[in-house]
Amino acid sequence: MTVVALHTQALVLPEAATYLELLGRALQAGRLSNAFPDRRQIQGSCDALAAGLRLGVHGELYVDARAGLPNMASLTRVLTDKGVAGESLARMGDRAALESRRGEAEVFARLAAKHDYYVGLKDRELAPVDHHRVLLRRHDPSSGTAAFRIEMTKLDASGVYVRLQIELTQVSSLWRRKAIDLDKDGETAAASDAFRSMVYRCADLDAEALFIRLHGIEGVSVERVQRGVVGPLLFSLPTGGGVQVTRTAEAPDDAIGRAWHAWSVGAGAAEHERPELLAAFATDSAAVDIREERSNDPISPLLSDRLQDAERARYRALRERYPFKVFKDRKFVGTAGLKTMVQAVCAAAGTKNLIYDLPLR
Amino acid sequence: MSSKTNLDVLTRQVAYSGEGISVKSLETEIQKERTIQDNKVEELKVLRERNVEIQGAMAEELKKLRKFSDYLNGTATKGGFWAGFKEILSYIPGLGSLALSQRSIEELLKQQYQISARRVKEAAEYVDTLKQSEQDLYKEIDRINVRIVEMAKNEREALNYVLELKNLMEQLKGEEQAVEAGSVEQRDIQASIDKVHAKLAEHSTNVQLYGSAEERYARLKDNTRKLAETIRNLAQDIQQYTTAASIKLDMASAQIQAIGRAADASTVMLEMKRSLDVMTESMNVTTQFVSDTQIFFRSNLDTLIKELDTFDETTTNVLEENLRKSKEVEEARIQAAIEKAVQRGPHGSGAQPAARA
Repeated sequence: MTVVALHTQALVLPEAATYLELLGRALQAGRLSNAFPDRRQIQGSCDALAAGLRLGVHGELYVDARAGLPNMASLTRVLTDKGVAGESLARMGDRAALESRRGEAEVFARLAAKHDYYVGLKDRELAPVDHHRVLLRRHDPSSGTAAFRIEMTKLDASGVYVRLQIELTQVSSLWRRKAIDLDKDGETAAASDAFRSMVYRCADLDAEALFIRLHGIEGVSVERVQRGVVGPLLFSLPTGGGVQVTRTAEAPDDAIGRAWHAWSVGAGAAEHERPELLAAFATDSAAVDIREERSNDPISPLLSDRLQDAERARYRALRERYPFKVFKDRKFVGTAGLKTMVQAVCAAAGTKNLIYDLPLR
Repeated sequence: MSSKTNLDVLTRQVAYSGEGISVKSLETEIQKERTIQDNKVEELKVLRERNVEIQGAMAEELKKLRKFSDYLNGTATKGGFWAGFKEILSYIPGLGSLALSQRSIEELLKQQYQISARRVKEAAEYVDTLKQSEQDLYKEIDRINVRIVEMAKNEREALNYVLELKNLMEQLKGEEQAVEAGSVEQRDIQASIDKVHAKLAEHSTNVQLYGSAEERYARLKDNTRKLAETIRNLAQDIQQYTTAASIKLDMASAQIQAIGRAADASTVMLEMKRSLDVMTESMNVTTQFVSDTQIFFRSNLDTLIKELDTFDETTTNVLEENLRKSKEVEEARIQAAIEKAVQRGPHGSGAQPAARA
């Protein structure tokens, strides 16, 4: 068992490098749209973590044992390193001077490696732990109406990496407490603390619940809520020269998680040589312009399909008050062994999902 | 005529290594070394001050995070969870004055985590700087050692030469005793003695200078070694402290998120409860209304029914009375008509038209 703390798994070289390489390629193969967190930033963090391990700056990689993604400690580590890189490089001095003193003491070889690591970090875009911005889409001063897009990227407490986009219109009135404030020129916007915090707190709600929650605010009319989720990630990595494997330790208890457990003790149990990885990328939208309410997500059916008869009528009454429809989808990227597994899960759920190949090198 | 003594010693070049020595050059050299040492001490002072500052801040930041953890474990609550939790929140800049529901605790904790991680990283970065300084000082010690050996060798050279000069002086003085006073020979020997004396003065000074330089370099070396050891100890302390802090932070990241999420969830629940309270309030009003209406009906229904019954009875009576009276009127009318008809008879001879009657 590689769990070293609450929901925290530690990977070391060489399997940590294999994991980061596969994750990077899975992100690329997933063809992520802008509904998802910025792929280049996650890639940047993965590359930085790989460089840190390779150069001996970091000894291990911490992964969320549930979501299978680098956890907050790992993402924060490279962000912090980037934050101190400039000052540290100035203190270290010339790279050639450090290299020339390599034979003198261990510290110079280490500093030369660290120098390389920090130089590599300087221009690298990294995945933020949290990021929030408000963009003004339209502003009509005559009617006091302004349309905004709120973008929030968050490393969720469940370990998955989420991008949330909300498009809404706000009617400004003097007597109303505004959710979003425009500057004097009407060109830039910022969410009020209370509104921002509410969105942050509710970011792990599904799009439907969030739409209803926000639409209930006085003066706010929501047009679209979209969530793009990177993860969870299931992996199986050979260790100790193929004698053992390291796997996602706390896979979620859903259809895919259960299939994964079955695979681990069945077909996958004998697989000690090849690494296997399955990455899931889900979108969940609630918007006024969605024509048909549907879920193409094998592990997240529509709420209406999950309700008991007694609740359904009440839910219908609630939904009649809001003008949106919901669409959920999930695509996968997987290596050969796990691709077959997820195909079976999708077939059983009656969904038709994109499952991209992740070839091994 | 010349001295019988061999005077080659006077013309021999003494093989001092280095650039020669004088009081001024020795002071300059020592000063140079001291400056290097002073700079390192100054550097160390700055590092130590900055380190104390960072370690203090780091300890403070970690204390905040640790307190959260303690509250989560339920090991640090005196006035109940919320009292403790509010106390913790008051540590976070900007949060103390805000209502709980205004800010996301998860977001604030993550920010706090990042600040703590930054502090630990800053402190850890000094370890390498200190180790680099330590190596610089050991390199300096090597350089000083070369100087010490050089000075020792030169001192030995000077001492040997002084001994040779002393022997020469003794020989010349002995020779002088043997020649006639005031003679050319004596003058010549005296001239040589003067030369030896001058050489003795010069190289005796060298003996002193090289001896003093050796001692001073040795003292500098001791100080430099002490400084290097201090730096090494400081680096080890910082390394130990930051490694422990860094491990704690690495291990706590999921816990921090879990606490934040739980706190936010409780706020979401609180907001939900508030909206439910509003709903319950309106439900309560409705229920009260229904309940009151029911009581009203219950307490008044019998009277109403009774009243209704009474009403019905009265109405019936009235109606019956009306009907009875109507019937009486009708019957009276019929009777009157019959009586009239009877009075007129069958052929109408005795009968008068009613109109006429």
